[in-house]
Amino acid sequence: MAVVSVEGLSKRYGDLNAVEGVSLEVDEGEVFALLGPNGAGKTTTVEILEGFRARDRGRVQVLGHDPADRKTARQMRERMGVVLQELAVEPFLTVRQVLKRNAGYFPHPRPVDEILHLVGLEAKVDQRVKTLSGGQQRRLDLGLGIIGDPELLFLDEPTTGFDPSARRGAWDLVRALTTGGTTVILTTHYMDEVEALSDRVAVMNAGRIVAEGTPQSLGGRDRGEVRIRFRVPAGLDLGELPVAAQPGRDGMLELRTDREVEALAALTTWALREGVMLTGLTVERLTLEDVYLRLTGHQADSPATDPAEVSR
Amino acid sequence: MRASTERRFRGTSDVALVGRQVYYEQLNFWLNPIAALFTIGFSVVFLILLASSTGNSHSSTLGGLRVVQYYVPGFIAYGLMATCFSMLTTSLVVRREMGLLKRLRLSPLPTSALLTAVTANAVIISAVQVLLLLLIGRYGYHVAFPHNTGALVVALVVGAASFTALGIATSTLIPNQEAAGPVVSIIFFVLLFLSGLWYPIDPHSGLAKFAAWFPIRHLIEAVYAPFDTRPGVSGWAWHDILVMAIWGALASVVAVRNWSWAPHRSGGGGGGRRWRLSGRATSRS
Repeated sequence: MAVVSVEGLSKRYGDLNAVEGVSLEVDEGEVFALLGPNGAGKTTTVEILEGFRARDRGRVQVLGHDPADRKTARQMRERMGVVLQELAVEPFLTVRQVLKRNAGYFPHPRPVDEILHLVGLEAKVDQRVKTLSGGQQRRLDLGLGIIGDPELLFLDEPTTGFDPSARRGAWDLVRALTTGGTTVILTTHYMDEVEALSDRVAVMNAGRIVAEGTPQSLGGRDRGEVRIRFRVPAGLDLGELPVAAQPGRDGMLELRTDREVEALAALTTWALREGVMLTGLTVERLTLEDVYLRLTGHQADSPATDPAEVSR
Repeated sequence: MRASTERRFRGTSDVALVGRQVYYEQLNFWLNPIAALFTIGFSVVFLILLASSTGNSHSSTLGGLRVVQYYVPGFIAYGLMATCFSMLTTSLVVRREMGLLKRLRLSPLPTSALLTAVTANAVIISAVQVLLLLLIGRYGYHVAFPHNTGALVVALVVGAASFTALGIATSTLIPNQEAAGPVVSIIFFVLLFLSGLWYPIDPHSGLAKFAAWFPIRHLIEAVYAPFDTRPGVSGWAWHDILVMAIWGALASVVAVRNWSWAPHRSGGGGGGRRWRLSGRATSRS
C-alpha cells in the first residue's frame, strides 16, 4: 500500500516554479531517496508532504491524510517523525529531559532508554544539550525523530556532520527501522548514502523529477554506457588503437561506450595480435554520481565519446 | 473517515499535555541561570536602588505620597513587561531562527497547546516577580499591599495578555536573532523612560500626552491605581485597562497575520544547507 502518493504537485514562489508537476508513490517499508541540487525543489516537496507548506496544485496523500488539512494534522503528525537539517534543540535541557518531553507528544512513544541505546547516547543522558558535540547533537536529533515510533520518517540530510563510524551506525539504525515496517523519505547529498540505504531514488532538477528508479538502475546505469580504462606503453601512436580512446587526467586512456563487448573484443584482439600490454585494464559502470551529474545538467568530467566512433 | 470522527481537543489528556509543556518551559527558563537572574533581578535591583535613594521623598505629582509608593507598582509593571514582552519576543525570535518552532510545528503538539504553555510560562515568571516586589515593598519600605486586590489582578491579567500579544507580534517583525536583543531593548527602554517608570510624570504634561499613545504608561497607571492611597481613589483605572486591551487586540491581528514557523533567513524553498552553530552560540550567551 502506498504510504505517500503524489500526483501533479506544483508550487510557485512568485515567478519561480519551485515544484512543477511532481508525481511519486512511496510504499510501506520503502526507503525513498530524493536527490537534486540546491534549489531543485526537494525541500519544498518534502515540506508539502510534511504538511509544513501549502501546495498550489496537485493531489497529495500521506498516511491516508491530506497533509494540508488542518483538522487531521495532529493525527498525521502522531504517525510521522522528522529529522531536520537544523540542529534545533533547547541548549539548557538535558538529553533525557528533551527525549521525555517529546515522547509526551505522541500516543505510543518508544521508551526513552531504548532511544538512548539506538542512537548511542546512554553515556550522555544527563548532560545538557549544549555540552554535546555536533555529531552527538545530530544523533539526539535522530533519536527525537524516531521517539514517536513513526510509520513514516522524513530524514533531511541525516548524517551530515557524522564521523564515518557514526554514519554506519545511523545507516544500521535506519535499516533496522525499515525492517520493522517504517517508511523513510530521505534527502541527502551523499551518493554512498543513497546506495547504502534507498530502495528507490528520484532525481529532481528545476522543480521536476528527471529520473526515477533503483540506485542500481537510475538513468540506465545498469545498461548503457560503461567506462573502459587502460594504459599502453609510452610512445605508442594513439592512431594505431582500434578504439577511440582519449587520455584522461591521470594519463590512463579512457573510453565510454554502450557497446562494451565489441569494444573490448576489438581492443584485446588488437593487443594480442600486436603484443601490446593493456596495463590496468578496467571496465566500470557509471557511478551514481556520474548519472546524477548528467541528469542535473553537469557534464561528467571525462572525454566525451560518440558510440559510433568506438570501433573503426 | 477515522479522522473526521476524532475530536481536536482531547480533554484531560490535552490539559496534561499543556501542563507538561509548561513544566519544560519552566525548566528551560530556570536552567539558564543568567537569563533567569537578569529577567527577574532587574526589577528587584532597580526597585531597591530607587527606593533606597529617593523613595522616602514626597512627590507633588502624586499628591504628596511617598515616591516609593509609586516605584513598587511601577516595577511590578516593569517586571511584567520585561517577561511578557522583552523575554518572550527575544525567545520567540531565537527559537524561530534556530528552527525550534519548525520542529514543534512538525510534532503532534497542537499550536494552541504550545501558545498556551508559552504564555503560561511568562505569566508564572511574572507572578514570581510581582510577589517578590510586593513583599520587598511591604517589608523593606512599608508600602502597604494594594487596597483593591481585584483591580490589581485585573490590571495585571489584561496587561499580561496585551503585552504577550505585543511580544508575539514584535517577534514576527524582527528578522534575526542577532537583532532581537538590541531592537527589543531600544524600543522598550525609550518607551519606559517616556512612560514615567523612573519618576512620576505630571498627567497634564506634553510628555504624558505623548506617552499615552503607547501601552506602557497605561500599564504603569493601571497597576499604580490600586496602590494610590489618597482618599476617594477607587483603584480601578478603566481607561488605562481599555487602552491596553485595544493595543493587545491590534497586536493579536499582527501576530496572527505575520506569524511564521520557519526561520526568516532561510527564505522560500530550496536553498543551501544552513549551519546555525554561530547563531546557536549567540543565543546561548
